[in-house]
Amino acid sequence: MAGVGSRSGVSYDARGLVEPHAEMPDNIEVDGGRARFDAADLTIRQINMALRKLIYNDGIVDVTVLNPSSKHSLAVGILKRCRIHFEGSPGWFACGLIDGPEVTINGRVGWSLGENMMSGVVVVERGGGSLTGAAIRGGDLIVKGDVGARTGIDQKGGTIIVMGDVGINTGFMMQRGRQIICGNAGANLGDSMYDGQIYVAGRVSSLGVDCVPGEWTDADAELIERKFRVHGLGKPPQFEKFVCGKQLHNYDSLEPSERKLVI
Amino acid sequence: MAGSASKGESPSEIRTVAIDAEVLAGKRFPYQEDISLVADIDLLAATPGPDINWLEDVTLLEEDGVPAVFDRYSNSFLKIYFDIPEGSEDDIARKVLIKHLVDGNSYGITLKDVHCKFPQVELGPWVAESRIVGENWKPTELEGWTAPQAH
Repeated sequence: MAGVGSRSGVSYDARGLVEPHAEMPDNIEVDGGRARFDAADLTIRQINMALRKLIYNDGIVDVTVLNPSSKHSLAVGILKRCRIHFEGSPGWFACGLIDGPEVTINGRVGWSLGENMMSGVVVVERGGGSLTGAAIRGGDLIVKGDVGARTGIDQKGGTIIVMGDVGINTGFMMQRGRQIICGNAGANLGDSMYDGQIYVAGRVSSLGVDCVPGEWTDADAELIERKFRVHGLGKPPQFEKFVCGKQLHNYDSLEPSERKLVI
Repeated sequence: MAGSASKGESPSEIRTVAIDAEVLAGKRFPYQEDISLVADIDLLAATPGPDINWLEDVTLLEEDGVPAVFDRYSNSFLKIYFDIPEGSEDDIARKVLIKHLVDGNSYGITLKDVHCKFPQVELGPWVAESRIVGENWKPTELEGWTAPQAH
């Protein structure tokens, strides 16, 4: 559908495209199946357009983005296996909705890293903001520094690994999946969680409603050993496990359509 | 019974309240009944990262009393009718699901061709290459329908 111009120069169409400057960047260096470009002077839309063109249309499997400059919503909605490397720090909502990419970020990230991520791997060398892994459904999300509050809120699958501390309300309303926290956890850990496992190596300020210590099993030890090994995270520390006490929510009483929302 | 089609029944003849993959597709797929068709599926190759990644959350479930795997791409259960060897329940469930996705039979994926508003791969990360859909999206129009006059 053709865009409709306006006096401001902003174009839009029924799909909601509103950001100007939709020109493809001309500073992309391609070398075989690899590409790199400097994002310092590009808009968010230009950066994401370039990523999609390179990965979807040009058969590029490895893209390096230099100077993301804390711009928001970078590398969202990429639905194909590929490698993306950010040399610098993206802003909010980086790598949201991805299904397949393996992303490395040599920097820190803002709020909502990997929000609604379906599959793939995201590794952040430094820290993250609040809402890291919000509503994540699958894949591995690894932050080597500290993260803010509400990590893995509404988590429906996947594994979140934080090598540092996490803030308050971590795992709030978590429904499935796993969180491996190597540092300390803020107040209300696992508040109102439905299911899933939270492993904490450090001190827990307080447990949230219906979050209780869980029984350690061989499967827990296998999971943690495997995740640390395959991602090169060194020797895992000793963890304590926390799960849902099943006093607040109970899947057994849900209608089938409701149950499907959380599996 | 809620939407299940046992052996010999046509899925289209079944009234359903649940969402069943074979009801959505209008047919049952061979790999739901023959374990040999999923034996060679390589789960590590089909998933990103060094382990099975998102398939970690896929386990063998049960729907209408039949073993089933949940297909998150169509929000439906894919029932498994063959005997599953003890101890490999989750592994088989994952292989059946990946076979379903690789073959492009997930109902949600079949909708992409018409309804995707933005260019994207038709199939997902479980295949190396896939055609692009959504490059020329147009709003769906009902045949014979005209927009009402503005007030």
